[in-house]
Amino acid sequence: MSSTALSQISMPFLMGNSLNAWSEALVGFNILGLPLGLVILAAIPLVFIALYSLTYGVYGERKISAFMQDRLGPMEVGKWGILQTIADILKLLQKEDIVPSSADKFLFVIGPGILFVGSFLAYAVLPFSSAFIGASLNVGLFYAIGIVALEVVGILAAGWGSNNKWSLYGAVRSVAQIVSYEIPAAIALLCGAMMAGTLDMQQISVLQSGSWGFAHFFLFKTPIAWLPFLIYFIASLAEVNRAPFDIPEAESELVAGYFTEYTGMKFAVIFLAEYGSMFMVSAIISVVFLGGWNSPLPNLGAIALNDWTNGPVWGAFWIISKGFFFIFVQMWLRWTLPRLRVDQLMYLCWKVLTPFAFVSFVLTAIWEVYVP
Amino acid sequence: MSEYFGNIKTGAVTIATGMGITLKHFFNAIHRKGDAGVDDVDYFRQVDGLCTLQYPHEVIPTPKNGRYRLYNNIEDCIGCGQCDRACPIGCITIETIKVAPDDLALCGKTSDGQQKKFWLPVFDIDVAKCMTCGICTTVCPTECLAHTPVSDFSEFDRSNFIYHFGNLSRLEAEAKRRKNAELQAKAQAEKEKKAADALKESKGGE
Amino acid sequence: MQELDTAGLGSVRVTRKNDNVVVIEKDLATEQMVLAMGPQHPSTHGVLKLECLTDGEVITEAVPYLGYLHRCFEKCCENVDYPAIVPYTDRLDYLSGMNSEFSYALAVEKLLDIEIPRRVEFIRVIVAELNRIASHLVAIGTYGIDLGAFTPFLFCFRDREIILGLLEWASGARMLYNYIWIGGLAYDVPSDFLKRVREFVTYFRPKAVELCNLLTENEIFVKRTRGIGLMPAGVAINYGWSGPMLRGSGVKWDLRRNDPYSVYPELDFNVPVPDGKLSDVGDCLSRHLVRAWEMDESLKIIEQCIDKMPSAEGFNPRSAIPKRIRPKAGEVYARAENPRGELGFYIQSDGKSTKPLRCKARSSCFVNLSAMKDLSKGQLIPDLVAIIGSIDIVLGEVDR
Repeated sequence: MSSTALSQISMPFLMGNSLNAWSEALVGFNILGLPLGLVILAAIPLVFIALYSLTYGVYGERKISAFMQDRLGPMEVGKWGILQTIADILKLLQKEDIVPSSADKFLFVIGPGILFVGSFLAYAVLPFSSAFIGASLNVGLFYAIGIVALEVVGILAAGWGSNNKWSLYGAVRSVAQIVSYEIPAAIALLCGAMMAGTLDMQQISVLQSGSWGFAHFFLFKTPIAWLPFLIYFIASLAEVNRAPFDIPEAESELVAGYFTEYTGMKFAVIFLAEYGSMFMVSAIISVVFLGGWNSPLPNLGAIALNDWTNGPVWGAFWIISKGFFFIFVQMWLRWTLPRLRVDQLMYLCWKVLTPFAFVSFVLTAIWEVYVP
Repeated sequence: MSEYFGNIKTGAVTIATGMGITLKHFFNAIHRKGDAGVDDVDYFRQVDGLCTLQYPHEVIPTPKNGRYRLYNNIEDCIGCGQCDRACPIGCITIETIKVAPDDLALCGKTSDGQQKKFWLPVFDIDVAKCMTCGICTTVCPTECLAHTPVSDFSEFDRSNFIYHFGNLSRLEAEAKRRKNAELQAKAQAEKEKKAADALKESKGGE
Repeated sequence: MQELDTAGLGSVRVTRKNDNVVVIEKDLATEQMVLAMGPQHPSTHGVLKLECLTDGEVITEAVPYLGYLHRCFEKCCENVDYPAIVPYTDRLDYLSGMNSEFSYALAVEKLLDIEIPRRVEFIRVIVAELNRIASHLVAIGTYGIDLGAFTPFLFCFRDREIILGLLEWASGARMLYNYIWIGGLAYDVPSDFLKRVREFVTYFRPKAVELCNLLTENEIFVKRTRGIGLMPAGVAINYGWSGPMLRGSGVKWDLRRNDPYSVYPELDFNVPVPDGKLSDVGDCLSRHLVRAWEMDESLKIIEQCIDKMPSAEGFNPRSAIPKRIRPKAGEVYARAENPRGELGFYIQSDGKSTKPLRCKARSSCFVNLSAMKDLSKGQLIPDLVAIIGSIDIVLGEVDR
């Protein structure tokens, strides 16, 4: 399998279709010695996060939750309430940016920043398309797992800096939760890495392309891959503090957890970080188990669905839709389930997910070695 | 060990059931329940679906006997003041002026033919205080005081909540009072005159 | 028990499981912290303040502070006529106004010793049971919210809305009815009302099952509530608990059965108590289950009432209402089964006035809440939230 097989039929785009062609072209794009291309390269995911959290993240979640609860959701601002998020952003912009007098000002201010940077940095290794990746690292997956842990620092800074007991509870819970859940998450991802034989996100995606579409995805390649897939999905919910593992925010217990004291744009940045990491884990799970930017449609004889729906632009479409699907599942879970308690969360992590992750790791290893 | 796996199984099954229910509702969101009131015959035959009513544009109809805003039909009010006395919180203020005998026709009758004997310069209901218990309406002898099914009557100014039902303007009330006072003074003078005459007579008779 | 004694006062988390006391984290005592939970906390169901002494997330002591919603109910009663107290009773437990009115009406009727028309009794039972379902729907829905499940709450409120509509149709008001008067009713029910109530019963049964599937059977919900906030039957009785709280502890005590009033003796219904299979007797889940089962029983009662109800011909709901209520000197205590337990009214009359000399409400929520100190000892903060939710307090009744 090579990059040439990827995109013969798709429409030719400005900078060619070969692997990483767009991003490499951008890296080389300099004006007056200024690395403008690099800035654009970094700005693309940023704009994506902003746009997606505005539309699908906030508006979509409100609508989805409303429909699940027999409600209408936002309806007033614009047709079907489409402009509701804009109104929200305007409101948040106008709000006074309060720093509590007894807060640790430095930590309080820097907390949301670290939080957002933590989730945003992982976008560097997400292959948005066969021709576009921020940084094609050969340790991409490892980097993604590692950099997410940076969020912990932001949460702790926010929670401690607020000088609020509820915030501190939320922060401590969150740190314990994220650090614990990294283990099953990382082991589950290792299963995927083992199947691929590489940590390079782009290569993992390339390895899952083929004319049979979804049949080449790692999820369907071995009969045990669903186990690490499921484990990673559950663990990723905990890593991004989504229900039923939203105990760091736990509105009914801790008021709002580590961001109780935040107002205005700082609050918005925390939310942006949350939506950023939601897509990030969804994209990682899509790349490792569901083929990333590969089309799931198979070639059926003369109807070459797979060939028609592959290519750099299609790739972007596929990975974003796969990511959105997982975000939908996250929302769906959130609006269905009650919240776990802290010790039950830890029980689930250490006594259920971690052992099963090890089992799936061993089984995958056996499969990879003994089954050709 | 079997408990361990049993727990995982029940967890998975019940979570799947719950998710099935929410997904069913999600796909059911293409339907919308209507805005029929409970008194509508077809109330329970409405489709299951989104049940939000967007308030100012759509409202749940209030039934005809809804007890919301107080309204006093001053034409029928005889100024007996029973509502004022019955109100547990005292949100009704009444002031009455006795109708002069020559004004009785002007003051008129209630719709059931009872002669009104009081002018009502002040009949104020503070609907912000009113707790819509309906006790005043049950004691009202002429049934002129009633709760209407108007449920939304919010105001921006607190003073707008005091509804004035009085049937006399301040000047008119002043005139009536003066008239009453004059009449009274006249009556008083007559009385005194009579008394004086009687005194004179009795003196003259001596 | 030995463990418990040696553990001392430090950080102790006690879990009772079938009389075996399990102590967790006994050697992890850290500095104690005072945590003020409320009165602006999202899950204290109003304006309750709990001052918790915490050790990490373990609560060593939680003291409820009351009175944020105190409205001098009892003093107000001494200054208004007997019939004018009825709207005030609505405002005690504002989620079940009909039931509060019912028990106040019972008290004054006992004092006056008057006979109530039979149809009035049936209508009273129907509206009270409808209100009980509405109240339990709120209890169950908000309990879901306390534990992080939002959707059941909305489903509960969707169905409660219908009940409120029905009661509005009958009484003219949605929550604060002033419908059950001393000696009668404000109005007869509208002509189609009973038919619509019957339709509601058929509509609501599948919804209750759906609610059960979505929330009560959910494994996470069970894990969060089972074995939490255990209250043995003996202690519950000593605290004076009543209603679903007491029944949750396995005591089969329901005033509709044990101290029958109105037409309840003629009606066939069960008093559900947990049997220990689905839940540990006396825990939060038991109380929740009792409420869920009671909704079903209420539906049964409503159906029977509609069947047995005398016709409306020649019926005047106000026929037995005394013109002027001036009871002879004496005192009376009457109680009724409210959704939250026993609501009793103690009324004292001096025989001269049309106002009671003293009117005391025995509030179920207040009594149930008084066990907070025992219940919260050694629990985690999330469990404390679960416990408060399971007590199902209405601060309007606690503070009065």
